[in-house]
Amino acid sequence: MDFTLKIWRQENQKAKGRFETYKIKDISPDCSFLEMLDILNESLVNKLSHPVCFDNDCREGICGMCGLYINGRPHGPDDAVTTCQLHMRKFTDGETITIEPWRAKPFPVIRDLVVDRTALDKMIQEGGYISVTSGGVPDGNAIPIPKHKADQAMDSASCIGCGACIAACKNASAMLFVGAKVTQLALLPQGKPEAAIRVQKMVAKMDELGFGNCTNTYACEAECPKEIKRSNISRMNLEFILAKIVSEETI
Amino acid sequence: MKLIKFASITKKIALAAFGLFLLLFLPVHLGINLCLLREDGGEWYRNASHFMGTNYIVKVFEIVLLASVLLHIIIAILLTIENFLARPIRYKVATKTKTPFMSRYMIWTGGVIACFLVIHFINFYFVKFDLVEGKYSADMEQVDKHFQEKAIKLQSGELSEKEQASLMAQYQAISQVSMDKMDKNRKNLVNLTKDEVKLYCGEDFKHYEPDFYNMSLELFANKTYSIIYLLVFVVLGFHLFHALGSLAQTLGLNHKKYTPIIDVVALAYAVIIPLGFAAIPLWLMFML
Amino acid sequence: MSTLDSKIPEGQLSEKWTRYKSSQKLVNPANKRKLDIIVVGTGLAGSSAAASLGALGFNVKIFCISDSPRRAHSIAAQGGINAAKNYQNDGDSIERLFNDTIKGGDYRAREANVYRLAEVANSIIDQGVAQGIPFARDYAGLLDNRSFGGSQVSRTFYAKGQTGQQLLLGAYSALSKEIKAGTVKMYERREMMDLVVIDGQARGIITRNLQTGELERWSSHAVVMATGGYGNVYFLSTNAMECNGSAAVQCYHKGAMFANPCFVQIHPTCIPVKGDYQSKLTLMSESLRNDGRIWVPKNIEDAKAIREGKLNPTDLKEEDRDYYLERRYPAFGNLVPRDIASRAAKERCDAGYGVGAGFAVYLDFKTAIERLGRDKIQERYGNLFQMYEKIVDVDPYENPMMIYPAVHYTMGGLWVDYELQTTIPGLFATGEANFSDHGANRLGASALMQGLADGYFILPYTMQNFLADKIHQPRVSIETKEFDEAEKSVRAKLESIMAIKGEKTVDTLQRELGHIMWEYVGMGRNAEKLTKAIPMLADLRKEFWSNVRVTGDMNSMNPELAKALRLADHIELAEIMAKDALQREESCGGHYREEYVTDEGEARRDDKNFMFVGVWEYKGEEQEPIMHKEELNYEFINVQQRNYK
Repeated sequence: MDFTLKIWRQENQKAKGRFETYKIKDISPDCSFLEMLDILNESLVNKLSHPVCFDNDCREGICGMCGLYINGRPHGPDDAVTTCQLHMRKFTDGETITIEPWRAKPFPVIRDLVVDRTALDKMIQEGGYISVTSGGVPDGNAIPIPKHKADQAMDSASCIGCGACIAACKNASAMLFVGAKVTQLALLPQGKPEAAIRVQKMVAKMDELGFGNCTNTYACEAECPKEIKRSNISRMNLEFILAKIVSEETI
Repeated sequence: MKLIKFASITKKIALAAFGLFLLLFLPVHLGINLCLLREDGGEWYRNASHFMGTNYIVKVFEIVLLASVLLHIIIAILLTIENFLARPIRYKVATKTKTPFMSRYMIWTGGVIACFLVIHFINFYFVKFDLVEGKYSADMEQVDKHFQEKAIKLQSGELSEKEQASLMAQYQAISQVSMDKMDKNRKNLVNLTKDEVKLYCGEDFKHYEPDFYNMSLELFANKTYSIIYLLVFVVLGFHLFHALGSLAQTLGLNHKKYTPIIDVVALAYAVIIPLGFAAIPLWLMFML
Repeated sequence: MSTLDSKIPEGQLSEKWTRYKSSQKLVNPANKRKLDIIVVGTGLAGSSAAASLGALGFNVKIFCISDSPRRAHSIAAQGGINAAKNYQNDGDSIERLFNDTIKGGDYRAREANVYRLAEVANSIIDQGVAQGIPFARDYAGLLDNRSFGGSQVSRTFYAKGQTGQQLLLGAYSALSKEIKAGTVKMYERREMMDLVVIDGQARGIITRNLQTGELERWSSHAVVMATGGYGNVYFLSTNAMECNGSAAVQCYHKGAMFANPCFVQIHPTCIPVKGDYQSKLTLMSESLRNDGRIWVPKNIEDAKAIREGKLNPTDLKEEDRDYYLERRYPAFGNLVPRDIASRAAKERCDAGYGVGAGFAVYLDFKTAIERLGRDKIQERYGNLFQMYEKIVDVDPYENPMMIYPAVHYTMGGLWVDYELQTTIPGLFATGEANFSDHGANRLGASALMQGLADGYFILPYTMQNFLADKIHQPRVSIETKEFDEAEKSVRAKLESIMAIKGEKTVDTLQRELGHIMWEYVGMGRNAEKLTKAIPMLADLRKEFWSNVRVTGDMNSMNPELAKALRLADHIELAEIMAKDALQREESCGGHYREEYVTDEGEARRDDKNFMFVGVWEYKGEEQEPIMHKEELNYEFINVQQRNYK
């Protein structure tokens, strides 16, 4: 298959970026999207130019490192996949493919298609955890957890932190990312003691970092490679209301 | 950038809560409007407007409602600006993500509704505060009583010459009043301009009220207005379509069992309410 | 030579760790604040160690090669984590977990270390639950287990097919808590370039900021290597793209010895290779072997017809299928350890029974779907099936999956003693980066166990024992001559790579390396192939240093340069892997020498001559490394021939 690629190139954070057009030929339909970019890069190196930088790591859809905005969709034209799991058979021969980095104020471009997503870590650091230290914890079976709650918590916990929800949201809102963590921990008895303080702190950090507000368009849910549901956002809203109105703890 | 110093979720909940007031008010308004269709010469409609215009509890709610409208609009605008600023560099390719119909256009549908509200307020609401001249009605009994009082004063010679002349003019006018200035039950003088009120009821008559019934009928008689009105309610339908489900989402009411029910209710609400409103001009256009 | 002191405590096996803990030295809280620790790597082992050490009060700096600790490849572990909780009442115990692990490792692991691992494994599960890890539960709300290869009990705890992810996120959350508290400082997008040794003690590192290209210096009282394995030496492996053994090679150059480099695990259930453009292989969890049955056609003509697309596997009758694992190993069936399952698949494919492109076997769920229903299978393996379908574009509910072995894990690594300290004082190694617990083959669901055991429950003790003596040692300046020299040599290396401007891209050379390694130092090794490989690797090294092409510059983000640096180190690792494989004239675990087999074609171990750890010492460029031996003494366990029949 042959493609025309329009790729965002930007030397560094301060540089002005632009789109560059590349032609690429004889790509197997079984080739993954990132392997197609590898082939492009190898040809660029052979032409003595600088290859296109893009984040990637596990290439099996779990590390959350890859993330490209392809033809108007985060992770491209397939549902429930990361960019590394997207295959060229999802495109038509001769298609023009426009590749952009994630766009959001808290995600500055580092180079080409690589963006800085440390904002996600910063939100987790505000309270996306249960404050236990190593050792001194009760037996794993000391507190039974209803299966359906454990399963729901697992669904929320399957977030890979790729940022597609933010990239997809017309407001660049991080509500699904934060909501999934808040929900996971709110569902589990172990997470309850810190629930009220956690949601307040994480939301405050999210706002401070410059993410947009949620307007319930659910683009996040539609593009999440792990199919995390919008009910996580709803649950976070509830936790937030309870924390602000019922709880005596303030931040 | 944060234009208002509240947590994003607080703002979102405020937007939803103010919207909720509006959602609750719409059926009330619709109920009153549907009285227009009763062929009772506007009796029910007039009674309902009278109640809404004079009851103190309603007056308190009126203030809450007005505040809700304003805050709903202001917060929505500020949030939209904030959200725009959260992505300083936009994408080149427009989004192809599948999102629920209309959820992306709430600010635009809301804007259309806000514009219509301005027209609506000019047409009706401002008349109440005498900011705009409309049509008025007066209870015949009240007019009669007022006339009798004047007549007694006339007999005891308390009226000035000018007042006497005006009373005579009122007498002449009212004895020749045409049928279209009277309601069906001949209980009220209706469809009066400010001057006509002075003429028929006397210079210092105070007990007249805006005649929303005839003002409505007059507006709906205008085809252009009726079509705009219908279009606005289609837009309102879209706005409402997203509103109720979104409200539940925002207030954290999400439940495996009830969310599907809420979705059905939201859809029903979004169809029935605008349809109810739209029924009135449609009826007037095609049935009468 | 007796430079290798494994420092195993005296006493009964079950008492060693307790005895060690009760007699070791500790550091008081006020002194902990004065001691700095560098942790390189943010996977399970690194994150858990940094979080635990930070919580104790040490000053910890942690270095992450990606933008976040959550990217570490521990995240990709699917199946589960072992622990001898015996919640299932099926006869499990610490002794049994210990026995299984030692046996699974083909008696090439250190007894005391493995026993300690089995001992602390239960605490990991408790720790995970307390961190909010949503392990799978049964309807009573209690923890569920599944079975895994190499054991006859169900002791594997899991979180859907994403156990590694959940455990890593648990460690990441513990780390995040410490970062917030200020006890741990995190540096992302940094790659370790060199180890700084001052007066024989590891005192710091040089890193390269992958975002800016800048070289940076960091000093400390101790350094922890948690940099994972070197499976990417094979180019195609289940490892992530960023996984590399480069940091371990820097330590090796500075005097840390490298143990058992030839012990590489080939995982039997991976998606087969499809083309030259392929950048990595995807693992399908071993847990699939719980319900899936592995087979190839019984008749070679059928296999040929399937390869040519003339025959559909679903049309093949039951009696025409060869469930070779069930046939050869009736006791364990499809759940034999990984090395055995991998070799059996290779044997069938080499004999001409392979399907797909000839290098694949079937993993069939038909029987399981008939027995349990599609829903149950979906609940157990839904995400794996979905992943398979996304990659291969074939529905595994309807058609059997195709699988083939691929490089997965490296049991070898930096040599460490009982305290997980390398041969350089102050340099510790943990997780896959060390060699200690898996012998010649790692059992499934044990990697997560080892990484976390080291990080949460072992290093926090053993490092204190070391650091207790360093409380009077002042912080070292990063302006010393050792730091100057280290940075200078790194810069020189970078400049020389940039200056080559050769003809071959890094990827091309990497593929060549992978080809040599897979063909000559792969699943089936022999003296002939290995003696050929060694000069080929030396030539490749020369070619790299004379003909690699790296574009761009060294003072900005440049993934090509980063890859080139790693490749240089991987070629060197490959050389000692081949040498180690050549000296080990026996078949054990993942190391299979075709000359050393039993009459039935099974691996033949040589306990008399090779019951030792091969520990390699670097002697300088163009110098032959020297191998030392750490003899393994099995005092408490009865060494047997591995038998899974």
